[in-house]
Amino acid sequence: MKIIRIVLQLLVLYGFLLIGEAIQTLLHLPMPGSIIGFLLLFGALLLKIYPLEWIDAGATFLLSFLSLYFIPATVGVVDYGPLFSGKGVLLLPIVAVSTLITMAAAGFTSQHIANRNAANKEES
Amino acid sequence: MALTPAAFIFSILTVTTYVIANFVYLRFRKTPLNPVITATVALVAILVLFDIPYETYTQGGDWVAFFLGPAVVALAVPLYKHRELLQKNLVPIAAGISAGVLAGLVSGTLFTRWLGFTEELILTVLPKSLTTPVAMQVASTIGGIPSLAAVFVMVAGFTGILLGPYMLHALHIDSPIGRGIGLGASAHGLGTAKAFEYGPEDASMSSVAMTLAAVLGALLSPLAAWLLL
Repeated sequence: MKIIRIVLQLLVLYGFLLIGEAIQTLLHLPMPGSIIGFLLLFGALLLKIYPLEWIDAGATFLLSFLSLYFIPATVGVVDYGPLFSGKGVLLLPIVAVSTLITMAAAGFTSQHIANRNAANKEES
Repeated sequence: MALTPAAFIFSILTVTTYVIANFVYLRFRKTPLNPVITATVALVAILVLFDIPYETYTQGGDWVAFFLGPAVVALAVPLYKHRELLQKNLVPIAAGISAGVLAGLVSGTLFTRWLGFTEELILTVLPKSLTTPVAMQVASTIGGIPSLAAVFVMVAGFTGILLGPYMLHALHIDSPIGRGIGLGASAHGLGTAKAFEYGPEDASMSSVAMTLAAVLGALLSPLAAWLLL
């Protein structure tokens, strides 16, 4: 019975994706339909329109193999070999440095504000 | 999606390679053995060795990649399960992720522009800190190259888990919220796996950060592309 439940819930996830893609096409939004589907599902769960039990098993199952689904894309790098033998190799340090800047900004900001909030609470 | 012998062969081959790669990773648990890396290297080697064009391979690859879209939708479930953590720390989380996403988009665009890369490559680098499925879809939405974007996402992830801990330490970012949000917002799923090593609270923070950074990044990337190019 668990398999049937998972399959049905996968179809629901696909349904949210289709709705998201339809909205993207209709409104010409510059963001992926999957993100719109994500927002719809998250909203439906928060507003208790759609219960967690009706999606939990399927979502958990699907996400446990998440890295499998993008392997066909990473294999596509086979067509971009020449890029990395030239100037393109510089893209790697750029990505690395920009990643560290991202981490520093996100980590520092969240910790700083959390500490300040905690200090304020102690004072009041 | 094609229903050809190639589709059948290459979808099975992709799944099998992934299962073996995963098994090897679980057996040795070494970061460089990350199954995405080893499976990709193995499949690329097979394509090169047998002189199989990528177009032939994708007939099967498309069947596997089909699950990316529903998987992005499914990310709403873990985020919903963390809603109390999110609610309790809404302001620091939201501020940290906004700062991280903005810093990533601006620095990525400026560096690639200074070195004179083409617009297509700049747009490919832009979504590097978003979780791979979202990064690929964002890249294809704004005019970048999805498969190359996935490679940069991996580079970002490995930078985050290999160099990130030293930087966090040097900057005295030493709380679960600081470490978790930093790792998740910059190094997505790989960062979240690293955050598990610090503790469960770091991991939850990182998982929330990964998802929210992906959503915010998907919303802001087109804007950044338009403003900065």
